[in-house]
Amino acid sequence: MKKFGIALGLVASLMGSAVMAEAIKATPGGAVNLVLLPKFLGILPFDQADRGAQEAAKELGNTGTYQYIGPTPENSAAGQIEMLTTATTQKQGVVMLSNNAGDQIAAVAEAAQAAGTKVVTWDSPIPSGKGESVFVAQVDFGSIGVVMADMVMSMTGGAGEFAVLSASPDAANQNAWIEAMKKTLAEDAKYKDLKLVDVVYGNDQSEESYNKALGLVDKYPDLKVIMAPTTVGIVAAAKAMQDEKLCDKVKVSGLGLPAEMVSYTMNGCAPEFALWSFVDLGYLTTYTSYMLATGAIKGEVGETFTAGRMGDFTIEADPGREGAKRVLMGPFTVYNKDNVEAASK
Amino acid sequence: MRLKSWEGMLALLFLATLAANAVLAPEFLTLQNQINLFQLSIEKIILALVMTLVILNAEIDLSVSSVLGLSACVFGYLVHEGVAAPWAVVAALMVGPVAGLINAVLIARMGIPSLVVTLAMLIMFRGVARILVKDQSMGDFPLWFTTLGQKGFLGPIPLSLWLFLGFSVGLGVLLHRTGFGRQVVVIGTNAEVARFSGLDVARVKTTLFVMVSSMAALAGVLYAARLGSVRGDAGVGFELDVITMVLLGGVSIFGGKGSMAGVILSILIILNLRNGMALTNITGHIQTGVIGVLLILSVLGPNLWERVRRG
Repeated sequence: MKKFGIALGLVASLMGSAVMAEAIKATPGGAVNLVLLPKFLGILPFDQADRGAQEAAKELGNTGTYQYIGPTPENSAAGQIEMLTTATTQKQGVVMLSNNAGDQIAAVAEAAQAAGTKVVTWDSPIPSGKGESVFVAQVDFGSIGVVMADMVMSMTGGAGEFAVLSASPDAANQNAWIEAMKKTLAEDAKYKDLKLVDVVYGNDQSEESYNKALGLVDKYPDLKVIMAPTTVGIVAAAKAMQDEKLCDKVKVSGLGLPAEMVSYTMNGCAPEFALWSFVDLGYLTTYTSYMLATGAIKGEVGETFTAGRMGDFTIEADPGREGAKRVLMGPFTVYNKDNVEAASK
Repeated sequence: MRLKSWEGMLALLFLATLAANAVLAPEFLTLQNQINLFQLSIEKIILALVMTLVILNAEIDLSVSSVLGLSACVFGYLVHEGVAAPWAVVAALMVGPVAGLINAVLIARMGIPSLVVTLAMLIMFRGVARILVKDQSMGDFPLWFTTLGQKGFLGPIPLSLWLFLGFSVGLGVLLHRTGFGRQVVVIGTNAEVARFSGLDVARVKTTLFVMVSSMAALAGVLYAARLGSVRGDAGVGFELDVITMVLLGGVSIFGGKGSMAGVILSILIILNLRNGMALTNITGHIQTGVIGVLLILSVLGPNLWERVRRG
């Protein structure tokens, strides 16, 4: 049975590559009302996604409206639920959602779909996949786990204690990455001397993350690396280590924006970190949403489409969420002293 | 007389908001939007009704949002553990009186200020909620339960909205037409005088804290039903919105002055204003700012009015 499944998978992927040759193209000039709804407003990655979304909307000649709206950080989950409800009332075409409300938003997303407003998630999906048309994934969540583990490996020299400083305890994306990292650590013997001592949450607030980072150092005297898979957390942790002159002892790594991380990479506080382009993520999400709303694609597994300058993408089953679908963007870049300055400009 | 004028002002402000919304947002007057407008804040508005009595009594309860969260999490946890949903509802509702009694004993019997007690409980109950559900979402509630929270109950109006209507009338009558209501206000005006005139101050305060916590527990169950899923952060920060609604309604933070009609008007203004701003695509930061300005004006307004009147 398993073999049969693999065979089916092979056939499907062969068919996928066959279709690849005739990827579906968008018909420009359609009217789709788009809403880009980030977790909250006020941090750089989401503004970059906004830039990419605007670029795509312009390129597509979309005659519909485009709104970039979001809640305040302290009201993120309730605010997103409210804004998605409002967008449904407004009969918006597609809401592009970086979900921070977990499954609490699923019922509202299902109501949106029933009323004709599509919900395309990006950055962070709806965990159960309910009410979601498709998820535009930045990178394969499993591969983030490997990259995180490898960065810890290279910074500790292969052995030692490290801790994770994450965003909110409910962020579906961060939680999935941390799980993927734990799995990587457990499965490959080369990581056997790395010890994950704690996972703490700074809720993507600078000050809270800063204090949590210092708390980790106090609690674990032998800590070698703080792994922060969030752009807010990594900057706060690097600043905390720099302020306390701890950079020789505790290194910071994770997911960060080159522009915000360049000084910490050059001074050795955060010698290595990774990220993907949020501009591209916003761009690809907008192409996917536009093509879904105009009916060019149906949002079914196996469909391949062309997203402007970024090339061809195929909708596939999401391996991390049963029954859900994703478009995988990838890959991501590891930044260090050699390339961070160029990328930060 | 002063209060009447404040309510008159609120009524005008409400009509102005309605008119602006109707002109600026074509979707505003649709039935679904009107229902959504109440549904989205239902937990806060039923809490504001009881909070009115608490603040009139010159007390405050900051712990309501954590009691709400705890109730929602108790429900989610029990369903997750296989307890039948009706029993989980009962258990979640029991969180209310228990939490209320803890608050009441510390405040009314031991004489610790309610600001301090309920701040501590805000932190403690939230902690218990988070311990209970860890970092997970708990969902997959029975269909009848989420239907009650999301769909029409009698006609298109959801159950929670009927509850709000019922509580508005019931609590309005309790406050303005009963001996208990008069005691609440008299104690709020001057607790010492009330005590010397033989009122059982502790008993009234205990009743109020149990009432407000019970309402918070009910709000927690409604929250779980509305969203079909709960997390440890359910309702975080709601207490500030609830208190804003009460204060904008003209209830004095020092107790003794205010009316249910004012608070209901204030609820209508805040909900409509938020809805109108959302429909015209005004973003979260500005919405919060506008509500803040409104609150300052609501505190300044009656004071300035008083000064003008006295010359």
